[in-house]
Amino acid sequence: MGLASFIARRILTFIPTLIGVLLITYLIAYAIPADPVRAWVGEKLMNPETLEQIKTKYKFNAPWYEQFMFLIQQLLTGQLEDPVRHRNVFTELTSRFAVTVELAIVGFMFLVIIGLPLGIIAAIKKDSPVDFAVRVLALLGSSLPSFVLYYFLILVLFVHTRTTYLAGIPMPSGKCISDLAALPQSVPVLGNVASAIGSVPMFGAMMCGEWSVVADTFKRLYLPGLALGLLNGGFIARIVRNSLLDSLSAEFILYAKARGLRKLSVWKHALRNAMVPVVTVLGLNFGGLLSGAIIAETVFNIPGLGRYMYDAIMRLNFPVIIACTFLIAVIYIVVNLVVDILYAVIDPRIRY
Amino acid sequence: METIFRLLRSIIWSYAKLREKISPGWIQKNSSRIKEWELMAYAYSRSLIGVIGGVIVLAVFILAVIGPLLAWEPYWEYKIVYDESLRYRGPCLPPSCTGYPLLGTDEWGRDIIAMSLYGFRISFVISIVVVLLGAPLGIILGLIAGYKGGVVDEIIMRITDIFLAFPGLVLAIAFASVLPQRIRGFLEVNNIARAFFSGLFGLRQEEYGQLAALLSIWIAMVIVWWPGYARIVRGSVLSVREMPFVEAAKLSGLSTWSILFKHILPNVLSPVLVMMTFDIATATLFAASLSFLGLGPQEPVPELGFMISKAGGYFPERSSHVVIYLGFILLMMALGWNLLGDALRDILDPRTRRAIEYRLEKEKKK
Repeated sequence: MGLASFIARRILTFIPTLIGVLLITYLIAYAIPADPVRAWVGEKLMNPETLEQIKTKYKFNAPWYEQFMFLIQQLLTGQLEDPVRHRNVFTELTSRFAVTVELAIVGFMFLVIIGLPLGIIAAIKKDSPVDFAVRVLALLGSSLPSFVLYYFLILVLFVHTRTTYLAGIPMPSGKCISDLAALPQSVPVLGNVASAIGSVPMFGAMMCGEWSVVADTFKRLYLPGLALGLLNGGFIARIVRNSLLDSLSAEFILYAKARGLRKLSVWKHALRNAMVPVVTVLGLNFGGLLSGAIIAETVFNIPGLGRYMYDAIMRLNFPVIIACTFLIAVIYIVVNLVVDILYAVIDPRIRY
Repeated sequence: METIFRLLRSIIWSYAKLREKISPGWIQKNSSRIKEWELMAYAYSRSLIGVIGGVIVLAVFILAVIGPLLAWEPYWEYKIVYDESLRYRGPCLPPSCTGYPLLGTDEWGRDIIAMSLYGFRISFVISIVVVLLGAPLGIILGLIAGYKGGVVDEIIMRITDIFLAFPGLVLAIAFASVLPQRIRGFLEVNNIARAFFSGLFGLRQEEYGQLAALLSIWIAMVIVWWPGYARIVRGSVLSVREMPFVEAAKLSGLSTWSILFKHILPNVLSPVLVMMTFDIATATLFAASLSFLGLGPQEPVPELGFMISKAGGYFPERSSHVVIYLGFILLMMALGWNLLGDALRDILDPRTRRAIEYRLEKEKKK
C-alpha cells in the first residue's frame, strides 16, 4: 500500500473522531444549566426583545440536534459569530492562534536546544555528571508544578534583570500588514500561502524585513519559551539518550565499526536509527504547544489560543468553544499524521 | 537497605500466613509467587531512588492522613481581621526572629505551614482517587477491546481516539464550570454524602459548596484520565491473547470474564502499574493547575494551587515565600511518586528482575 492511500485511509478515520469531539463539546455546553444568552449580553443591556432576538439568531428555541447542525454548518462555512464581541470567530481565532504559534515555535526551539545536545552528551558519557544532570532535569520537569517554575523564572529573569517584558505582543508595521494582505491579488496561489504564513506576526515581520520586530518578539517570548523548554527538555533528553544507547548497542554498529568506518559516520548511523522515537515525542510535544499552554499564557499574560478558550468557557461562549475545540482536535490529528509520515522518511523499512 | 528488605519480607510472609489460615495449602501452592514477591522486595530495597521515593510517598501519606487534625490554625479564621499587618508576612526563622508563623502567612494572615497541612489531604485524595477510578475504567475497556477484536474493538478505540483528540483541559474546565451547581444541590440534601466527603477532604461540612467544586474537578479528571490506559492495555492484550495459555484456558471451558481477569490481566498489569504510579504525580499537578486557574474550590479552602494563584497577584514583593514553600510541597508530592515509578519500572520488568536474581545467587555463594 502506498503512502497516498495510507493518508487517504487515515483521513477517513478522522471524520468520526472530529464529529465525536464536536458532539461531546456541544453536549457538555448543552448540559450547562445556566442561561448562556444572559452571560453573553450582560445584565445591563438585558431587555426581553434583544434576548429573544439573540435566541432566534442562535436557534436556542430549536431542539438540540438542530442547534448542533446549525453550529456545524456555520463552523464549516466559516460564518460562526462570536456573540460577545460581535465579530466573526475566525478573525479573532486566527490572531490568537498566530500568537500561540509564535510561542510554540520559541518553546520548541528551546526544547530542541535543551533536549537534543544534552541527550547526546548523556549517551556518549553514560553515568557521567551530565547524565545525572539530565536525569534530575527530567525528574524535575515532570514533578515541578509548571506555574511555580514560571514564577521562579519571572523572579530571576524579569524582576531582577528586566531582560524581558510581560505585556503585549509585537506586531509588524501597518504597511507590512496591508502589503501582506494584498499579496493574494498579485500572486494567485503562492500569495495566499504567503499571506497566511505572514499572519503570524513574527513571520510577517521576517517577510517585510522588519528584524527589530522579530527581535522584540523573541525578547517578549523567550521567557515562557525557556520555561516550556525546561519543563519538557529533560524528558526529551532522556528519550534521546535511551534510544541512542539502544541503537549504539545494535549489531549494525558493531558491523560498521568492524568495517573500519570513521567514528563520525558510525555516529551518523546510530543517530539516524535513534531518531524514530525522538521524532514521535518531539512531534507530540509540538502539537501540545500548538494547542495552547493555558497556564503559561495566564502567568505570562500572552493572548493566545489557550487563554481565548479559557475565557470563552468562563463566559459560556459556545461558538468560540466549538471553534477552538475543533481547531485543537484538528491539530492533534494532523500532528499524529505528520509524525507517522515522518517515520517513513526517517526509517525506510517502514512502509504504508 | 537490609532492614527495608526484612520489613517487606515479613509483610509478605504475614500475608501468606493469613491466606494459609483461610485456605490451607495456599503457601505450598503459591510458593513460586511468594519467591517472586521476595525477589521484588529485594530489588526494591537495593534501589536507592525507589527507597527515597517510597519514604517521600509514605511521609506525604502520613501528613495527608493526620494533617487536618494536626493543623493548629482553623483555615476558616481570617487573622487579618484583628491584625492587618499579618497579610503576607515573610518567613520568621528562629535565630534572628522568634515570632510565631515560621514560614510566614498568606493573604488572610493564616500560617502557611498549617494551611499546607490541609492542602496535603486535598491534593493527595484527589490524585489517588482519580487514578484509582480512571485506570480501572481504561483497563476494562482496553481488555474488552483487545480480546474481542472486530467491531467492539473498533468502536471502543474510536471513542478512545475521540477522548485523546479532545483537549483534556477543555473537558476538565467545562466540567469544573458546569458540575458544581448540581453536586452542590445533591450535597445540600444528602447528609451522609456531605459528612463522608467533608471527612475525606478534611474540610468543614459548612463548606459543601467548595466540596462540590472539588468533586467536579475529580469527575472531570477521571473522565479525561482513562484513554491512555485503554490504549496501552489493548496493545498488550493483542499480543498476550495469542499465547498458548490463553488457548488452554479457553479449551478448559473458562468463561470470558475469568480468562480476561485471571489469565490475561495479570500478564499485562506491570506496565499499567508503573503508569499509574507516574500518573498519580501528574494528577497531583493537574488538579493543582485546575485550582490555579480558579476552577477548583474557592475561599476559604486552602488548596495548594489556589493559594499559589492568589499569591501570584502579589508576586514577588510580598508573596514569594508562599509560592516557593507551597511549590516545594507540590514538587515533593509529585517527586515521590515519580521516583517510586522509576524504581517500579525496573522491578516489575522480568528481564531486570532475572538479572537481580542472578546477582543475588552469586552473593549467596560467596
